[in-house]
Amino acid sequence: MAKVGSPSEERAGARGRVPSRHPEEGAAGAEGRFKTEEMILNVGPQHPATHGVFRLLATIDGEVLIDADPVIGYMHRGYEKLVEQRDYRQITNLVSRMDWLSGINNELPLALAVEKLMEIEVPPRAQYLRVILCEMNRILNHLMFFASFGAELGAITPTFYAFREREDIQRVMEATTGGRMHFGFFRPGGIKEDVPEGFVEGALAGVRQVIDRLPDYENLLVGNEIFKQRTIDIGILEEEAAYSYGVSGPIARGSGITMDVRKDEPYLVYDQFDFDVQSAPNGDCFDRFWVLIREVGESARIVEQAIEGLPPGPIMGKVPRVIQAPEGEVYVRCENPLGELGMYLVSDGDRRPYRLKIRTPSYSNVSALSYVLKNTYVSDMIAILGSFFFVLGDIDR
Amino acid sequence: MFDITLATWQILVIKIIVILTVVPVGALVGGYAEHKVMAHLQHRLGPMYPGGFHGWATTLADGIKFLYKEDIIPAAADRKVFSLAPAAIMVPIIMTYLVIPIDRALIVEDLDVGIFYLLAVGSLSTIGLLMAGWSSANKYALIGALRSAAQLIAYELPIVLAAVVVAMLAGSLSLIDIVETQNWPFAIWPPGIGFIAFLLFTVGAVAEMTRVPFDMPVAESEIITGPFTEYSGMRYIFAHMFAEMGHMVAFGGIGATLFLGGYQPIVPIPFLDFIPGVIWFSAKTMFMIFLFLWIRPTFPRVREDQLQKFAWKFLIPVGLALVLVTGAWVLYV
Amino acid sequence: MAVDEHRAPRTTESDDARRLVKARRPGFGIGLLKGMAVTLKHLFKHNTVIQYPDEKQDLSSRTRGVIALKEENCTVCMLCARECPDWCIYIDSHKETLAPKREGGRPRKRNILDRFAIDYALCMYCGICVEVCPYDALFWSREFEYAEYDIRELTHEKEKLSDWMASVLPPPALEEGAEYPGSPTRAPEVADGAAAPVKPVQAEASDAAAGTPERRGAQAAPLGTGGRPADAGAPKEAKPDVGPVPGRQAEAAPAPEGAEPAAAEAPPVQEEEQQAAPSQEQAPGPEPTAEDHAGPGGRTETASPEVLGIQMGAEPASPSPRESTETASPEVLGIQMGAEPASPSPRESTETPSPEVLGIQMGGGPAPSPGAGEDAVGAPEEAETRTPQEGPDPEEVARLQETPGPNVEVPNEEPKPTALDPTEDPKEVYEAVLSDQLAKGSSPEVAEARAKVARVKAERGIARNPGVATKEDS
Repeated sequence: MAKVGSPSEERAGARGRVPSRHPEEGAAGAEGRFKTEEMILNVGPQHPATHGVFRLLATIDGEVLIDADPVIGYMHRGYEKLVEQRDYRQITNLVSRMDWLSGINNELPLALAVEKLMEIEVPPRAQYLRVILCEMNRILNHLMFFASFGAELGAITPTFYAFREREDIQRVMEATTGGRMHFGFFRPGGIKEDVPEGFVEGALAGVRQVIDRLPDYENLLVGNEIFKQRTIDIGILEEEAAYSYGVSGPIARGSGITMDVRKDEPYLVYDQFDFDVQSAPNGDCFDRFWVLIREVGESARIVEQAIEGLPPGPIMGKVPRVIQAPEGEVYVRCENPLGELGMYLVSDGDRRPYRLKIRTPSYSNVSALSYVLKNTYVSDMIAILGSFFFVLGDIDR
Repeated sequence: MFDITLATWQILVIKIIVILTVVPVGALVGGYAEHKVMAHLQHRLGPMYPGGFHGWATTLADGIKFLYKEDIIPAAADRKVFSLAPAAIMVPIIMTYLVIPIDRALIVEDLDVGIFYLLAVGSLSTIGLLMAGWSSANKYALIGALRSAAQLIAYELPIVLAAVVVAMLAGSLSLIDIVETQNWPFAIWPPGIGFIAFLLFTVGAVAEMTRVPFDMPVAESEIITGPFTEYSGMRYIFAHMFAEMGHMVAFGGIGATLFLGGYQPIVPIPFLDFIPGVIWFSAKTMFMIFLFLWIRPTFPRVREDQLQKFAWKFLIPVGLALVLVTGAWVLYV
Repeated sequence: MAVDEHRAPRTTESDDARRLVKARRPGFGIGLLKGMAVTLKHLFKHNTVIQYPDEKQDLSSRTRGVIALKEENCTVCMLCARECPDWCIYIDSHKETLAPKREGGRPRKRNILDRFAIDYALCMYCGICVEVCPYDALFWSREFEYAEYDIRELTHEKEKLSDWMASVLPPPALEEGAEYPGSPTRAPEVADGAAAPVKPVQAEASDAAAGTPERRGAQAAPLGTGGRPADAGAPKEAKPDVGPVPGRQAEAAPAPEGAEPAAAEAPPVQEEEQQAAPSQEQAPGPEPTAEDHAGPGGRTETASPEVLGIQMGAEPASPSPRESTETASPEVLGIQMGAEPASPSPRESTETPSPEVLGIQMGGGPAPSPGAGEDAVGAPEEAETRTPQEGPDPEEVARLQETPGPNVEVPNEEPKPTALDPTEDPKEVYEAVLSDQLAKGSSPEVAEARAKVARVKAERGIARNPGVATKEDS
């Protein structure tokens, strides 16, 4: 929480927040003026605007949100306990259900962690294919949030357009992995099987179609004055606040922090691709959304480069018949579409992990919500929730 | 053709029957248009099954379905007000149909104070929304009701001012006179004033119907259905769906009458006269409805305070200025 | 692939920053009109809606719709039930003793499948069971319309699971540059007429029956049991002291159901030849190193459909199934290795030679001939020392990218020298192995088969398996 009087708090009052009624007393006081009562509004856990079973205990005074307290845990499924009883291949299938919108990106840090512990080398073709699949999933994820953000603000059309673009890419993923949302495709050492004929054309076509239609989306939402009015200078998350809350991903990049694990600590073959880290300085909803749209373009570039450079060869490294990570511990972090996904794997030599701690991006991102939601309007609360790009499965695991 | 003289009461009965037929049918057709036009704008198909051919009977099927839904009134709700609210919303809308001319001789009642009556009656449904929200014993409904009250009051004025401009230009409050005095090219006559008035009217109408982009009161993703959250079954249809569709068709008709020339042909070419005025009127109404339907999927919601700012700080001053200019025009031109 | 023609537009950071600033400026209503233009455009566009259920999407062959069971192939090894993360597969079986195959032989024990049920209310459609099944008894089908009103109906018993087999599609052809099973970093030679075995051909359940005996033969093949004919139903009883003997297939096709036993007999030897053939033809480019000779990683699924696809599509007498069957063996071999060491019947996991020796690569990777397995012995030392996390060596990548594609003729290389002198006289090898085996106590058929294999290998200059690793090594 930003301390009272800290630079971020003061700036918060100056930009983008509803000025509290009594600057000298803070938002809660109402003495000497028209007395209003505060109402506690329970947003969720069943609510169309929250991305899942997410509850926000909001204290509102008229239309102004005085305080917001996120309550999570409605979707806790006990992942970290479940995986203690399953071997790595089974965990791969489980873990893609955490952040279900970017399924394959969840499997990646697990595979990398096991490979790091076992010192397995992954063949280049597998690396490239992993990159292609991960980036396509990133596009899918970002398009999904594009759709949901528009829907929450009242623009119902982008939902349908975005889902149509997603369809082309999802068809390619389905032909490759068999699933449209939960893929279960990565294995320690490589990937499960090689891609079918038509993957390259399908991936390129799908990705290009998205790129071709991006200007449409920009005209429909980003250039729309009503949209701009609802998102510019709304829900500002300053850079220091983002740092202190551990925010990562498009939200952090929307606050001006150019952090991207793909560039900072490249894994797979990301260091061989030419792409930028998109960021925007202002930290409001519009900027976060802007970063989201731009990242789609970046992912498309990466996919194109990866396909161009896709080497022939095997797709599985040299792994023993039973994957048993040797004793040890390792922390691997990857750039999930929502932020930094980290897996801390402690192995005791068995084929099941002793402990797998999963650091999910949405959990940290959502912790900044109560800070951002101070003194905003109820409608802005919806816009801010939408712009925070979280998935409940990611928060609660 | 027929030489029939009808007694007053018989005429009254016929008029009532006409209204009570036209309004529901109009609402049904309007609802179907909404489904299909919005769907195609969103690159999808819309309902295709009910009735067989492209789902023409969708709204009919919906209505029948709602007929046998359970009638639930929340325990903490104020029963009398809760039950009366849908009527308070619907009746004024039905009453606006009374003065809309479909053809030269086809109008239920050609009042001398047509526009005045229209504006007066049209604003009555605000109270119905407030009743619905307040009596629901639901916080979301309450928020919705208060938002809607504020919005509807604010956006009455642009409509009123636009109508006043038209009345001034036509020199009469009677709707038939207004149509008759309109010459081609209708909405942009005289150049500029009419067009701005048309825009004011359209924006105001969209807001009056609490449609996107002004649907804060019924913002689905935020407060579910606003004042109608606790309504279910036929009550919901009357309070929300029917009202909105009926309103849309009514405003479409009013817009066509005031600005687009009503039942007159689009271009005053003599040979177009053989097409009856009903067809022209319907076409113009459908164009207005299409405008409403086109706006809906395209724009996000305007926030409540921005909505109010837009109305009070922009639309109404423009409307007032427009009235002044029109007055000057009429006097000196 | 013409990627260069149409690249995603490249913007610099300052471009983006400027565009952002411009986007944030007020637009005075122009943006609204542009938005309206976009929706209007879509009003007149051709609609791409697929009206389900009148029109259905053409799903891919890998789509995970429902799991089908091929009962004949199931040996009740219970691997699927064990590996299932949800424990949704229910298997019951009992052992039966059958009469010995010939006079004086030992009565054979066979596992009979009583119940095989998959509870689709629990199933999470991960596919591990399909992947892990060593005998290709489980397949993915793309059917998904089996919703029921009663949740108990969602437990599909084996009859229903067998019915789903009719909807199983052959696996798709792989993308350019992929490795096909049966040839490490090579694709099967198209001109050979032994046709790219992975071309998808219409799967028919009847062909499955034709493929069965070879398949079953194949599955028993690598389990060189000392002196006992391996049963199709109980391959677990093999012992680890002998190498893979594809020739065992002739021995081990005990009850080919209605299919051509002759085909089962004759192909095995030819399979061996075919198997060796691709490995000697067109090695495109540099010799595979550690990447090629990866051990099984538990990925067994792709082998099966590939194989299956070959079998189901091909005529039994044509070259294709031979290729397929022989590729089956290493997969099976490797797959067997994938069994848990701690399984209740340890025999089934320990009798086969270690994968490293055999150079088995699981799944979609190449299934080199057993001869190539020896290469793998030397291979691990050649492994590059890059840490896994860093990604592949750019030079390696460049080298691989420069290699000619899979269909390019490249003079084949000599197989690496191995323990035995490749110029041994095949006949002598045959005699030697035959007497050796008989001395050890193998039955005559077994000994003969092994000797034949050794002779064929000697003919091609492939060494026999050197000291095969025993249980301790694995």
